[in-house]
Amino acid sequence: MTAKAAQSGQGAAPGKTGGMIDPVSLMRIKSMELRAKVIVEGFWKGIHRSPYHGFSVEFTEYRQYTLGDDPRYIDWRLYARSDRYYIKKFEDETNLRCHLLIDHSRSMGYGSAGYTKAQYAGTLAATLAYFLFTQGDAVGLATFDDQIRQYMPPRNRPGYLRRLMLGLEADPQGRTTDLGPPLQGIAQMLNKRGLIVLVSDMLTSIDRLDADLGYLCAGGHDVVLFHVLDSAELNFDFDAPALFMDVETGRNMYIDPVDARASYKGMLENHLAKAESTCRSLGIDYHLFPTDRAFDLALLDFLHDRMRRRKLVRHRAAPKLGRMV
Amino acid sequence: MSFLYPLFLAGIAAIGIPVILHLIRRQTRKRVTFSSLMFLRTTMPRFKSRSRLENLLLLILRCVIVCLLAFAFARPFLPKPTEQDRVARARRIALLVDTSASMRRAGMWSQAVNEARSVLQGLNPADRVCVMSFDQGTRTLVGFEQWETLDPTRRGSIVAEQISKLSPGWALTDAGNALVTAAEAIQDDEAGDGQQHTWTHEVVLISDLQQGSSLDALRAYEWPEHTELTVKLIPARSMNNATVQIVAQGDDPLGPDGRGLSHVRITNSPAATLERFSLHWADAGYTSPSDQAIEVYAPAGHSSVVRIPSPKVAAAGQRLVLTGDEQDFDNTFYLAPDVAQKVNILFIGDDDPNDPRDMLYYARRAFGTAGGIDPNLVVRTPGAVSQQNVTSAHLIIVTDAVNSQRGAALRRYIESGGTVLLVLRPADGPDAATTIANLAGIEGVESQEADVEKYAMLGQINFEHPLLAIFSEPRFADFTQIHFWKHRRINVPDAAKARVLASFDSGDPALFELNVGSGSLLVLTSGWHPPDSQFALSSKFVPLLYSILDYGGALLGQRSQYFVGEPVPVRSVPVRAYSNERLTASLQTGPAQLQVRRPDGTMVPLDENRRAFTQTDLPGIYRIDSPGGSRLFAVNLSAKECQTAVMPVEDIESLGVSVKQPSIAAAQRPQRTQNAEAEQRLKRHRDFAALESEQKLWRWVFALLLAFSLVEMALAGWLTRAPST
Repeated sequence: MTAKAAQSGQGAAPGKTGGMIDPVSLMRIKSMELRAKVIVEGFWKGIHRSPYHGFSVEFTEYRQYTLGDDPRYIDWRLYARSDRYYIKKFEDETNLRCHLLIDHSRSMGYGSAGYTKAQYAGTLAATLAYFLFTQGDAVGLATFDDQIRQYMPPRNRPGYLRRLMLGLEADPQGRTTDLGPPLQGIAQMLNKRGLIVLVSDMLTSIDRLDADLGYLCAGGHDVVLFHVLDSAELNFDFDAPALFMDVETGRNMYIDPVDARASYKGMLENHLAKAESTCRSLGIDYHLFPTDRAFDLALLDFLHDRMRRRKLVRHRAAPKLGRMV
Repeated sequence: MSFLYPLFLAGIAAIGIPVILHLIRRQTRKRVTFSSLMFLRTTMPRFKSRSRLENLLLLILRCVIVCLLAFAFARPFLPKPTEQDRVARARRIALLVDTSASMRRAGMWSQAVNEARSVLQGLNPADRVCVMSFDQGTRTLVGFEQWETLDPTRRGSIVAEQISKLSPGWALTDAGNALVTAAEAIQDDEAGDGQQHTWTHEVVLISDLQQGSSLDALRAYEWPEHTELTVKLIPARSMNNATVQIVAQGDDPLGPDGRGLSHVRITNSPAATLERFSLHWADAGYTSPSDQAIEVYAPAGHSSVVRIPSPKVAAAGQRLVLTGDEQDFDNTFYLAPDVAQKVNILFIGDDDPNDPRDMLYYARRAFGTAGGIDPNLVVRTPGAVSQQNVTSAHLIIVTDAVNSQRGAALRRYIESGGTVLLVLRPADGPDAATTIANLAGIEGVESQEADVEKYAMLGQINFEHPLLAIFSEPRFADFTQIHFWKHRRINVPDAAKARVLASFDSGDPALFELNVGSGSLLVLTSGWHPPDSQFALSSKFVPLLYSILDYGGALLGQRSQYFVGEPVPVRSVPVRAYSNERLTASLQTGPAQLQVRRPDGTMVPLDENRRAFTQTDLPGIYRIDSPGGSRLFAVNLSAKECQTAVMPVEDIESLGVSVKQPSIAAAQRPQRTQNAEAEQRLKRHRDFAALESEQKLWRWVFALLLAFSLVEMALAGWLTRAPST
């Protein structure tokens, strides 16, 4: 869903999810794990084929030997037939390594629909984690504000999901949002490529968003950004003049919403558009999630993107050797 | 409506606070927590008249609450009409005008007259007024009854005219007596009227309230409950005042030219600014006062005693004058010549003058030259007494039995006013009774020697008798140290009307008096010599002999200094009483009648029966002329009257007098009076506090405040819950 679609309310209005579970009702379930289970239940359950190549039994392609390649993987039979050195590549059958990066800055504690953005983001992340975990994928968790506050490496062990859920249930304790240091830290910590799901409200300066997300992309990670915003933040539908207080900085500002609404929306649209364009330029899947949007729709979007990305990968790999796995 | 603490009403200004709050908090009272203000720009608050109108009731309520709070703290009360307001229609007023000597100070009497005039002008027609003047005594100028007889329209001016005719005298101030007299006069008038509690009773005191004023009379007087004293204080133009007094006259023989030195005390008032004065004798033979003037330094509030040589010329009377003082009414001290009086004492007895076991031995030593007396003791045996001896004697002491012939002569002496002291010896036996009978001219006297075990003491002593009054003070009244080994028991018939002055512990008379004619026969039933008693060896012996001498009139005229208003004892005494050599020049040419020449030259004839001259109302030298001769005495201003510092009104109030605020000219108001005003304000505040405490209106105000607060809270809550548009 694009930013414009989200702001115009397409598929976002509570109670208009067409058979989907209303987030307001869903958030009444206290257990994060149960919440995720309810959402994931009914979805197709299977094992992803990892798009990444490792040294497994399933051959994927040949590549001409270049200096520096390990000579152990030279296909000597093919050398005998063609007198050329080819390296045999096999499809890595290991499971997906997914990192959930959750923004726990204080602005995530805001919510106008009876639950906060942090709760929504946690539920969203829990849904993904549950979904991936049940497929046998390794799921890790990192929470951050202006630095990494909590880090759980990807695992797929019994009981680990519960630990993840507990980590997601924690209230945001941070102060300001700053994507640079946490993302840079995460990029340094990850030595294997995997899936990184970033959930944040992005209420920070995105002038350096290109560089910040670039840390992850440079490491070859597949990055998905879930941009979570409250409907009040999107629409700024306040009516009475009031003294608005910034939860992160504590700064007070007298605002007359009638006067400020147009300007606010304009600046917000610019912000969202800039974020989306940056993600596109980096090849990052960008999803804007108003907090009143149904979780299963979000999961569908996610899976849809994953399938699309997989097709693209396979499509790029197929012409070389004329074999499809 | 009045307030106990009206300053708290300034708190009403605090209503500006809710007004301001209502102006500025309309738009900003709502606070909204938002995730980020990064897309917002502040907007200026807009004051909308519509919003102010919406909360106008709340604003009014809050303003009312603030006002009520200030109102309650100001402690409101409803002033009741005072007692004075209720009965202002009629007052009984006793107006006291001070005419003492201290009012002679410059400008004070005119102020007093003006003050009295203003009081009289402020009277209501229904008021009853009594006007009195006072100094040492109190005199009624206009009584209540006389006031009623005066024309109501002209009463005030008539009485003021009478007051203006008065002038201050020279007497000291007895304010206590004047106040008591005024209060009693009001009570007497009220009792005669019979309408109690419908009148306000007020004593108005117009005085300088000098510190020397006597308030002793108030100490023993219960001031009437509904009578108030208003003090109209007459302030002095100057606080400088010094006074002069002679402490000792010519006692110090070290003066120039062999003249004596008199000790003079200069007393300066506490608030004085002048401290240097000079002293000189007036009319003392000097060419100018500067020849013999003595410079004196007396600090403010202190006394200085200086020695000044007696005047060169022994004038009939001298004046010691103090110069350099602003108030001269007390700067002259009059001095009458102190003359040594010759006293003849006839001792009839056969005693050896050198035998300490005889009474004469002690009598000779008792009557030595002392002070102003020059005693001349003439000793004669009973048979050698001449008529001349008897007639020239001021006192006759008889220690031997006298026969009827001598006794008749002595009786005539007694009958003419003389005093005879008869001392009974043990050997006298029955002769004692005969001697008493001969001297007193009575029959039936019995005498016998008393049986004394070890010793007898004086049991009962009549200290009220003039003869023994000098021992009346407790420190002198102990006679128990005097033991009598022997004494006689005398039985005198009741018809003789003997008066027992002292008796032994056995009940027998020790000293009794028989009045014979105008004189008296004193009988001592025991001798004072050691074989009879220890009396001659005691400290009571000499004073008793001199007391007997004084009792007989022999010492009359010894004192020459008196104060104004003090009665001077005079009486027609035998010629021998005035047989002073230096003052008997007029003996042969003296007037046939007793008369006194006052300092102003007026002659005051005295009745034969009068015992005292009381018209000592002028300071100066007085002269008593009598057939027996003349003598001078000086009358001076009382030292108390010279203490001109202002007495605190609290001193009067402390004696139970209900004092209203004193009135005084503001320009000349001394600090003490300002303090009195502050005290008066404090008293009024206390009255208001009592009234407020009685009414407790603040409780109702607080109840109202609570009700308004509840309404305000309910309204504010409702407005808060109401959806804002």
